Amino acid sequence: MNERAAAPAIELTQVVRTYGEGTPEEVRALRGVDLTIPPGEFVSVAGPSGCGKTTLLNLLGLLDSPTSGEVRWDGESVGERTDRARARLRLEGVGFIFQRFYLLPTLTARENVELPMRALHVPRDERTRRSAQLLDEVGLRGRERAFPHQLSGGEEQRVAVARALANHPGLLLADEPTGELDSGNTQAILSLLERVRRDRGASLVIVTHNPDVARRAERHITMRDGSVVADVREA
Amino acid sequence: MRWGRGGTLRHSRLQLVLAVAAMATAVALPVVLISVGGGVSAHELANLQNAGYQIVVSAAGLHGITHAHNYTGQILAISGVTAASPVLSVTVDAFSSTGSVSPVLAEGVIPGQFTPTLGPTEAGLFPSSLPLGDPTDQVHYAHGTYSGPATYDVIVSTPYAAAHSVSVGQQLVLSPVANRTLGTTYNVTGTFGVPPTVLGPTGAFAVLLPLSDLQTMTGYGGGSAAAQDAADTIQVAVAGSIATNPSALDHLRDQVQALFPYYGVSSLTQEAAQLQSASGVLTGFYLALSSVGLSVGLLFLALVLLRRVEANHRSIGVRRALGISGRSIAAEIVWSGAVLALLGAAAGLLAGFLIVVALAAWATSAVQEAASLAVFDPAVLAELVAGVVGLSLLAGAVATRTALRMPISEALR
Repeated sequence: MNERAAAPAIELTQVVRTYGEGTPEEVRALRGVDLTIPPGEFVSVAGPSGCGKTTLLNLLGLLDSPTSGEVRWDGESVGERTDRARARLRLEGVGFIFQRFYLLPTLTARENVELPMRALHVPRDERTRRSAQLLDEVGLRGRERAFPHQLSGGEEQRVAVARALANHPGLLLADEPTGELDSGNTQAILSLLERVRRDRGASLVIVTHNPDVARRAERHITMRDGSVVADVREA
Repeated sequence: MRWGRGGTLRHSRLQLVLAVAAMATAVALPVVLISVGGGVSAHELANLQNAGYQIVVSAAGLHGITHAHNYTGQILAISGVTAASPVLSVTVDAFSSTGSVSPVLAEGVIPGQFTPTLGPTEAGLFPSSLPLGDPTDQVHYAHGTYSGPATYDVIVSTPYAAAHSVSVGQQLVLSPVANRTLGTTYNVTGTFGVPPTVLGPTGAFAVLLPLSDLQTMTGYGGGSAAAQDAADTIQVAVAGSIATNPSALDHLRDQVQALFPYYGVSSLTQEAAQLQSASGVLTGFYLALSSVGLSVGLLFLALVLLRRVEANHRSIGVRRALGISGRSIAAEIVWSGAVLALLGAAAGLLAGFLIVVALAAWATSAVQEAASLAVFDPAVLAELVAGVVGLSLLAGAVATRTALRMPISEALR
């Protein structure tokens, strides 16, 4: 059984991310971003499409490496770590919630939630107990055996949230988590994430276009053309 | 947009079923070839070992051994030789008393020596003492003059006797040409069985008669040709202590060879080794032939695995995003390929077995007989399955490379 991961202090220094470098299709997604996220903070990231929000989230969650600059977790550079080491960090310390849910279609709700635990070799009894508890927390008791195509969009996203929480991550990254949900489901998911953040002391970074969603965060980052153009903390 | 609906799953299952079917087809071919080929080879080897005679003298060309009676005597004088009989095989026409005419394989032998050169199985097909008159064949032969009285006795194979209603006590005219008036009349004094054979030259319609009778009948003994005293081979049986001792057998073979440096002399062990070598070459050929089918099956498997990786690139991306290591994902892909290959191989083994059973039941007679001899050697089949699974790992590795080369962020798009 893994211990609850402490929320990391994240620091980005002059981070540049360029896709297709040196080719005619070269895209500079991030242009020298400096950013610090203290542990336990609730941050919203907003901006027009293509401004680099998802790229920023991928770099924060170690899904991608910067072309130049540095990403530090708790003062330690992680951008140059091996794929395996970064995968381990993600498994133990990061919970991802995607706009399109990305549940594995061949697995049931319970199996989807257990997936990160299986990778961490959590014993079967513990997995079963924890997945049942998480699905209960997100209001899906009784739906454990349902496959994704048997769930509504709101239910799928709640399974995705439960999966993101499976290994007690210190950092929750959500990319437009309510983008495909109605207002009722949006409020339910946000309340759930806020409660989890509060109860578990995790950092929460949400990329969103929705001002109502962004308003619930304590810090608001606005991006444009690969740069942070505004960074405002609630009083 | 959600993904992975039921239709996608059904499509995916169909791919898996097709991959297993492709592997099964690829495996069934070598199973049939190797089991039937191996069975026939083993059968022929057993026939050779059952033949009984340990050494055979042979010469190239039509009835290439001359002075067969004299040479047989010289061989019999060698210590350790228990029996020796020249054999002359000629196809002649047989005219029965019922008026039928049929080509038969006539074999001329020394009656008292022939069956002792045979193994127990083959000897059991003949009467214990061949009812062909003079057991030494020296009376008619008369030291190469053929002036002695011939017995004119012949024994016929049971298939021939049954097909032409020939029975003991009747007369049979044998002629080296298709002309009854040029033939010689013989008394049918017995019958003999014919061993089952797949590749051997033994004719089902056959007659056995004294060597000197066949030599004079076919013109190789009488008149100016008398000196030839022709035969195709001389079969030599040896004492049991020599037969079971390879070096002693080789020594005796050398003694026979020393008598006739110009004839081929081979021992049973040599012939068995040659047959096994030929069998090995055939098996290699079968495997080479099968490798084409196996390659196609494995390419199909690799394509299916690649297709599944492409179709599931987002699932793979999600797993990687969640922190599941590339090694675990690779192991999963390779494992799924190996399981598919294993299932295909198991289905192929079953299919191959059923094909052989079907051939043995419904194919043409020669194929039926060959199929009935099939040997399913567990060791060979296990090697085949292991090879298939091993190669499937390569196919899985190709798919894995593709799966893990794609950046996670791209895989999630």
